[in-house]
Amino acid sequence: MNQFIGFRALLSREILRFTSVFKQTLFPPIISSFLFISIFGYFIGRNLTMAENTPYLTFLVPGLVMMYLIESSYQNTSTSLFIARWSGYIQELLVTPLSYVEMVLAMLLGSMVRSVVVSAGVFAVSLFFERTAIMHPWVVLYFMFFVSLTFSSVGLLAGLIAEEWEHISILTTFIMTPFIYFGGVFHSAQNIPHLFQVLMQFNPIFYMVNGMRYGMIGVSDVDFKISMIVVLVFFSVLFSVVVWMFSQGYKLKK
Amino acid sequence: MTNALEIKDLVKFYGKRQALNSISLTVPEGEFFGFLGPNGAGKTTTIHSITGLAKYQGGSIRVFGYDAVSDYRQTRALIGFVPQEFNFDPYLTAEQILYYEAGYFGVSKKEARRRAAQLLKQFDLYTHKELDYRKLSGGMKRRLLIARGLVHEPRVLILDEPTAGVDVDLRKKLWVLLRELNQQGMTIFLTTHYIEEAERLCKRIGVIHQGNIIALETTEKLIEQLGKHVITISLDRRFPEIPRELRQFGIELAEDGNTIRLTKNEVHLNELLKAIYAQGLNVTGIDTEKTNLEDIFLGLTKEK
Repeated sequence: MNQFIGFRALLSREILRFTSVFKQTLFPPIISSFLFISIFGYFIGRNLTMAENTPYLTFLVPGLVMMYLIESSYQNTSTSLFIARWSGYIQELLVTPLSYVEMVLAMLLGSMVRSVVVSAGVFAVSLFFERTAIMHPWVVLYFMFFVSLTFSSVGLLAGLIAEEWEHISILTTFIMTPFIYFGGVFHSAQNIPHLFQVLMQFNPIFYMVNGMRYGMIGVSDVDFKISMIVVLVFFSVLFSVVVWMFSQGYKLKK
Repeated sequence: MTNALEIKDLVKFYGKRQALNSISLTVPEGEFFGFLGPNGAGKTTTIHSITGLAKYQGGSIRVFGYDAVSDYRQTRALIGFVPQEFNFDPYLTAEQILYYEAGYFGVSKKEARRRAAQLLKQFDLYTHKELDYRKLSGGMKRRLLIARGLVHEPRVLILDEPTAGVDVDLRKKLWVLLRELNQQGMTIFLTTHYIEEAERLCKRIGVIHQGNIIALETTEKLIEQLGKHVITISLDRRFPEIPRELRQFGIELAEDGNTIRLTKNEVHLNELLKAIYAQGLNVTGIDTEKTNLEDIFLGLTKEK
């Protein structure tokens, strides 16, 4: 058996899944990013500046790119895996010769494709309002790659743990969204009270948003190398946990 | 002959409840094996242990000599699994279901397309290939499920109650298909609720009850060993009890007083009839009945 063919088939199925429902998976983030950029960035933020006197629109775009990258990654894997469990389709996968690592990697990479397409779409929308050159493309690619894989792993965990649809949205509403919004998507740490500046240091999304902001416009509240390490550590831990849970058959095998 | 399946001392717990109590069975290559048992007996648990859907706590499973845990890639490639429930990928069409399934088993794109088309034709699904599986009829879904189990060309096909809830016509068509597959050399491991199905199709039968194998024999021998002939003879006179001269035949007298019933494996009907006539009695009716696998199955599972 050619293992690469099996892995490629699952990856291709994962991509087919989200493209077959593109109106639900690709359009909404692009439309809502257009609203954020136009209302907050262009209408309200025209005369505002953030850290290092950066125009607000310029400051906002990297935050939005990262926010939608995180959301798309999480939504893709959590939905895909939960539906697979709910419909029983996961059994079809579990009886194939694919290893757990191959299954997890195919799902993560499929999710990465979606989140990269979405964040590229968000960036493309921003170009209608402001032409921004990307200052450090490799840093941008690094954060896109690892943040996407990190939150795709979080999505897989949610997809494994959830017993009902509600559990997926509870995690989004009560954990993901507050962490993202307080992670510096819309504001700099320099513009908030000291207590909140300290609290932000404990939010991993703060490092991800600032890493992306550094890569795109060269501005960051934290040294981008620290952000890189934080992201890598989070990814390594979450990926290992997901693979271990799959190998244990947690909520997959009887 | 190689063994397609070798299950040795298989133990499975669900929490504290023991679902399989050290069961062992072997299925030689090319055999049509029937695995029977009432609900909750351990049939599906056994199948799930073989296919990798359940973890077991003791014993071993070998598929064509490969261990189901340490050599799982080989064993899974050798097994085609047809589950009881429809568990199709909800995002795919009938054709894509087969195409992707082949891919998961390492079949190249070109070959996967060829096999998908061939199976769709063989199972009368080709004209519906573009349809979302939810739009297929129950019978079509059942056929698609079997086609999916075959797309990677396994050597042993495991079917978990494939004809449950299927109409008589489709059931018979599926029987023909399974027989053909078996004649082509495929080993078939079938669980079913329909005893008639097992009797007609299976060469050998295992009966599982409360996690224990309580019978494992060829269908023929099982019926021969445990089956009975029942002969009912109606007489032209009533008796309060069995006439003394007929007692040696071990007959029973029915409540109506003029019907006698003989239950024996070896029936000496001639001797019995001679004795009846010697008593000056006349036979008004005679009926013979042979117990089928269903009676044997019910007897076995009731006794335990």
